[in-house]
Order: sequence, then structure tokens, then C-alpha cells
Amino acid sequence: MSRLEIISILLTAWLAVGFEISFDGFRHWFGAQVSLLPALMVHVALSSSLSSVALLAIVGGLAHDSFSANPLGVTTLALAFTGTLLHFKRDLVLRDQVYAQVLMGFLASSLVPAGVVLALMNTQQPVPLTARLAAQWFVMAAGGAVATPLIFRIFKHLNRWFSYQPLPESHYRATRQIKRT
Amino acid sequence: MLRKPQYIALGILALLGLILLSLPESATQRAKLALTGLFLPLFGFAESTQSAARRAGNSVVPREDLVRELEQLRAEKQKLEFSHAQSQEAVRENDRLRKQVGFPARAPWKLKPARVIARDPANWWRTVFIDVGSKDAVRVDMPVITPDGLVGRVSVVGATRSQVVLLGDQNCRVAAKVEETKENGVVVPYATDPAIVTLTYLSRGSPVKSGQSIVTSGLELKPGNAVLTSGLGGVFPAGIRVGEIVDVRNVGFGLYQEARVKLAVNLNSLDHVWVVAQ
Repeated sequence: MSRLEIISILLTAWLAVGFEISFDGFRHWFGAQVSLLPALMVHVALSSSLSSVALLAIVGGLAHDSFSANPLGVTTLALAFTGTLLHFKRDLVLRDQVYAQVLMGFLASSLVPAGVVLALMNTQQPVPLTARLAAQWFVMAAGGAVATPLIFRIFKHLNRWFSYQPLPESHYRATRQIKRT
Repeated sequence: MLRKPQYIALGILALLGLILLSLPESATQRAKLALTGLFLPLFGFAESTQSAARRAGNSVVPREDLVRELEQLRAEKQKLEFSHAQSQEAVRENDRLRKQVGFPARAPWKLKPARVIARDPANWWRTVFIDVGSKDAVRVDMPVITPDGLVGRVSVVGATRSQVVLLGDQNCRVAAKVEETKENGVVVPYATDPAIVTLTYLSRGSPVKSGQSIVTSGLELKPGNAVLTSGLGGVFPAGIRVGEIVDVRNVGFGLYQEARVKLAVNLNSLDHVWVVAQ
């Protein structure tokens, strides 16, 4: 895992949680807040190592839970489970295709809240399963589906700006030069 | 397949999860408050952006509008001064009468202004963070209000930040009464609509019949009746507006009634609140 990767994961997780706690627009418009962490996890799981998955799960999950009434660590486990699952199946996913990114985003953004709610059912503060919760779950999944291709695109640009890009090979080779004598 | 560093990463993750989930409540709350400190630059940035936007907005307001608004505020201030003088007289009278009958004097509220700095990112909880904490003498269970009515209560207190659990969350139950009928009940969450709560365990409001052993107020609960905090339970002082009744239905095989109550405060657009130090 390169330094750039570590910094970008930490920074984007911080920004994603900052966006969730301070931007109320989705709550006003759709009745639910959209989480960007699962979409970010899709990108990390499909294009990076398991250590990156663990780092994002720990940092993002803890930051998310620190502003929430969730027990500390429950989002970390849900993110880690989703990320590990995607990481091991990454060879089967056409990660450069937008439709695959949308589908993976939808899957991850529905798995993470489902995992958290499932974990909360075993605590002293179970979440009541209502039609409103189901609607919020769908909004979160749909929001994640839309956000995932955007995150892939942002990281593609970041990668292009900040990492070494090998120059394309030239067809000219000195050994093949025809010398006229 | 899994390589050694990957095993280590997964092992650390599982261990961390288990440790965090088994931590005692007080340690978890301290850890959460410490983690929220990482977002202080964001709060500062948001505040400075808002104030810059406000300043920019103020600079383009026409002078005529400002003068007109100033005149309105002066007139309103004069009205409020008369009203304040009247109410002060009533307070003095109340204090005199309380002394005469031996009732203890009612302590006035001390209000601390606070700004909402963050919202719960999870959709199933209803909490917010405010920018006052133990340094500002904020304590757990202090009520939080706006001029429109009750918002919730302080649930976790840090040095400079506190978490407030809002009305409609399952961790915020309020003893309340209907102003018109004096029926007492408990405010609990209503699952379908976040702007509505349920006032439950209300006695049946049917007119008293001869030979009836359960004594009720004898008044029917009606849509539009005001719901206020009752002061029972000791957390919320009596008389804070919660909302107004939307409809009423019999539950528990007719043993008691439940009323849906539309909240007086729009909890989705909270910006500034007041913490009540009793």
C-alpha cells in the first residue's frame, strides 16, 4: 500500500463522513441520508489490497459511529464484511464498466446498512423494522449506486494527477535504424 | 488466496471490532467524543463559510429594508417591554402567594444558546451534536428547546460538544399532558413519520358515567389540542410545548388512548437551540 493510497483513503473517508454529518439535503428531499462509505469501499475493494479495505473499514466506520448513536465499531464490521466479500470476488467483476460499478454500489450500499441493522437487532437498542426503514434503505442503496461511478472517476483522475505515468513506448529503436552507407 | 499481511489485516480488524463492541458505555462515549474531535476543522470551516455567506448577504441588503425592519423591531420591543412588565408583576404576585402557602420558590430557567454542528449519519437514530459541553456547564439530561417548543435532551456531554437525542428517537421519552384536558401520557416515537410522535397511555376521555370507577377528565381529546411537557419524571420542566394532536384512537382493547401528535419544532431544520439549565 503506497503512501498516496493511505492518504487518499483516510482523506476521502474523512470527507465522506463530514459530508454525511453536515449535508442535510438528501434528508429533506428523499427522507434519508445517503452514505458514501459503501461506495468508497467498492472502489477500494475492487482496486486495492485487503489492508486498504481494513484501513477504510476502521477509519470510516469509527468516524461514522462516533457521530451516531450506533455502538462504536458496528459500522466498521459491516464495512469490513462488505469490503472483504467484494475483494475476494473482484476477479469476477468488470470494474471499469459503469453498469458494474452501479450494481456493486447498490449491493454494497444495501449490505452495509442491513449488516448494521442486523447487528443492532442483537443489542439492547434494536431498530424497529418499519416500512419507513425499508424506504430509507432503498434510498441509501440507490444513492450508493449513483455515487460509486463518480467515486471511481474521481480516483481515476487523482491517480492520473499524483502517480507516475509511464510514457508510451516509441516505435523508434536505435538498433533497427537503417544506415545508408 | 490470503497472504500473511492480509491475515494480519483481517485479524486486527476482527480484534478491534470485538474490543470496541465489548467496551463499557462510558469508555465508548469518551472514545466517540475523542473521535469527533478529528472533525473540528470541518466544523470551523462550515462556521466560517456560513458567517462569510451571511456577511455577503448583509452587504447587499438595501438601506430602506434595514430601516423598515429596525422600525418594526422597535415597535415589537416596546410591546414586549409592556408584556414583560405585566408578567413580572404576575411573577412577583406568584412568589408572594407561594410564600404565604409555604410552596418553594420556582427557580427561573437558565438558557444556554447552542449551534447544531452535526447530525446523526445513521437514518434510524435521531441525534444531533451541539457546540456546548461541560465547559459551558451542560450536563446529561438537560432539556433542549427552541422558541417553538421541545427539541430533546442532552444524552452525552464532552468538554466542548454534546450529543442531543431528539424527540421521536426511541431513547427520548417524555412525560406530557394535553393542555385542554390535563390528560397525562408518555411521548414515544411514531415509526412512519418523523414529524409526528405518539402520545400514549392516555386515559379514556369519555364522559364520566354514573357508577364508573375510573375517573377521567371527562373531556374528549380533539385534533388541535396542545400537548405540553407535564414535568413528571423530573427531566423536562412542565409547560414546554411538544406539539398538537392530529388524531386519537383507542388501543389496548379500549383500556387507554393514543394520540398522534404533530411536533411543534421542525427537527429537520434545526440550526440554533437552547439548553435549559434548571
